[in-house]
Amino acid sequence: MTILQVRDLKTQFFTRDGVVRAVDGVSFDLNAGETLGIVGESGCGKSVTALSILRLIPAQAGRIVGGSVTFEGTELTSLSESEMRKVRGHSISMIFQEPMTSLNPVLTVGTQIAENVVQHWGVGWREARDRAREVLELVRLSDPKRRLDEYPHQLSGGMRQRVMIAMALSCDPKVLIADEPTTALDVTIQAQILDLMLELKEKIGAAIIMITHDLGVIAETAQRVIVMYAGRKVEEASVEDLFARPAHPYTRGLMRAIPRLDLDAEEAGRRARLDEIPGIVPVLTQAIPGCAFASRCAFATDRCRVEPPPLFEQGGGAFGAAHSHHDGAGIAHAHDGPTGPHLAACWHTDRVLEAAA
Amino acid sequence: MSEGPSLEVRDLVKHFPLSGGLLSRKKKVVRAVDGVSFDVRRGETLGVVGESGCGKSTLGKVVMKLIEPTSGTILLGGTDVTHLEPGAMWPHRRQIQLVFQDPYSSLNPRLSAGTIVGEPLENFGLARGSDKDGRVAELFKRVGLRPEAMRKYPHEFSGGQRQRLGIAKALAVNPDVIVADEPVSALDVSVQAQVLNLLIDLQDEYRLTYLFISHDLGVMRHVSHRIAVMYLGRIVELTDKRTLFSRPLHPYTEALLAAAPIPDPTKRKARRRIVQGEVPSPTNPPSGCHFHPRCPYVLPACRTIDPPLVEVLPGQRVACIRREPGAEPAPLTPTR
Repeated sequence: MTILQVRDLKTQFFTRDGVVRAVDGVSFDLNAGETLGIVGESGCGKSVTALSILRLIPAQAGRIVGGSVTFEGTELTSLSESEMRKVRGHSISMIFQEPMTSLNPVLTVGTQIAENVVQHWGVGWREARDRAREVLELVRLSDPKRRLDEYPHQLSGGMRQRVMIAMALSCDPKVLIADEPTTALDVTIQAQILDLMLELKEKIGAAIIMITHDLGVIAETAQRVIVMYAGRKVEEASVEDLFARPAHPYTRGLMRAIPRLDLDAEEAGRRARLDEIPGIVPVLTQAIPGCAFASRCAFATDRCRVEPPPLFEQGGGAFGAAHSHHDGAGIAHAHDGPTGPHLAACWHTDRVLEAAA
Repeated sequence: MSEGPSLEVRDLVKHFPLSGGLLSRKKKVVRAVDGVSFDVRRGETLGVVGESGCGKSTLGKVVMKLIEPTSGTILLGGTDVTHLEPGAMWPHRRQIQLVFQDPYSSLNPRLSAGTIVGEPLENFGLARGSDKDGRVAELFKRVGLRPEAMRKYPHEFSGGQRQRLGIAKALAVNPDVIVADEPVSALDVSVQAQVLNLLIDLQDEYRLTYLFISHDLGVMRHVSHRIAVMYLGRIVELTDKRTLFSRPLHPYTEALLAAAPIPDPTKRKARRRIVQGEVPSPTNPPSGCHFHPRCPYVLPACRTIDPPLVEVLPGQRVACIRREPGAEPAPLTPTR
């Protein structure tokens, strides 16, 4: 069942250098209870997509210029600010990368969480504080009763991220958007937080949008994945399918560029070279007529440079959900099965898959 | 031909005093680097891996003599440079160069790229005038930048290009040793691969010695020959790359490897053993083995015994009392 639907979302920023097309026509569905990963490099629009869903784009800098976001049938892009406030932190909540800057330094942990509960559930402070303690226990923060009266600076980075998660879960959200939730954390703490999120998801049944640049985090947490490049969705697939048969040259390039800690890269005593993706991402202030990846792509032809490729169904294959079909926007429908179809925005996926084989 | 190590470090210690309160008599110290020894051969990469606060960056700065060690010895190409005054250190500065993590803040924004890369050549009196310009143009080409870019300023370059500039600057004086402190951590994956390939190519070409500091185990596995794992100022395991990843012997190394997410959903770690707790403060490290409060295999003796880094198996040095030299490296039995 789809609970969040994003259609042809376009978000732009207005800078001195021109209009930045940060999100350039992105569509996807989020099903109840699933974990959808959004992966891409800096500037690909993954965070702006999340901020747009919650209408958190600072008005003086940019705005949503087109498309729609519907949550359980309600159009969010046209809600008034006060109605939108009822959605944030309640039915849809968000976890940010850096908990130190997203927690209020002059309020105790208990007050910050209780504030959210009072606001959305309309209960008294005493009850809200009890709820705060309950969620701190849920995220397995040590000594939750004492932590209620502590300030963010008294906590370590890992503990702060647990508080952020507790706050996000305090009003039983249906959707949890996590924007690089473990990027600022050390690897052993990251593992603890990822495990906690997966465990809590099972417990409370919220759907998660996991936004990250890290394909390792995606592989460990997501069921379905969207790959973004230069503000556009270039590939979507189940996590197994994406890693087994990346069909877009960018996805394939990314996967081959990561130094792997689980594989020996040695070739006859020499260190192997990583596959590079040549060049850099295009400037988003200029219109990109064709495929945004064409200038860096080994498979690109003249057509790629002038005509933007639609999302093609990749079907078949060992993992493919072959019976699916999709509408023009490239949307996975509920009847496509639990993980949906495999879509890639490339004119030459046949050659890409052939090269991989 | 046998040659000594390019870089040798013996019992290196760096303690930072903390300014206590006005009335407090007792001086506290941060034990950032707490007795570290290793050597790196010519043409070799020693990776130093660890989490924030383990002292890996301080180690790099002390080795560079950007900060003075509290005690211990640093030998550069066999010469003891530990106590050299800045003047006496000068000729040795050319031998060891640093590549920073953040190419944005380590390049002077008011100088052109060509001037930045050419500066060390002038400082060390290696080249001047058109000679220098020619040499800088060569360096630009070598690191994959167009020589015309010499006239540009740092802000006109992308992140990856700026890191290439930083590398060109370090290379300018023909150093023997390069200390690279998280050189690709600020870069996106696609650009990171370009810079890692460049660093490896340059090493093979000039037989450079790298002390490569990173928190990223994937990067470590790719660039290193040997790897030192640090925890709270100490090396807990030091061995060749292949052994470290296939047969880690220190419980902390094992925990690090188990925690790192792997980009392959078929290897999803459903019920992995995750080490609990967080890294304690280096101002007040735990007694005995620093890792004992988090260690799944802890014994009562771990709370009191400071385990030395000893060769447990040939070429594999481990600081853990549960690993006896020469013993069969069997999996340990958890004690909690």
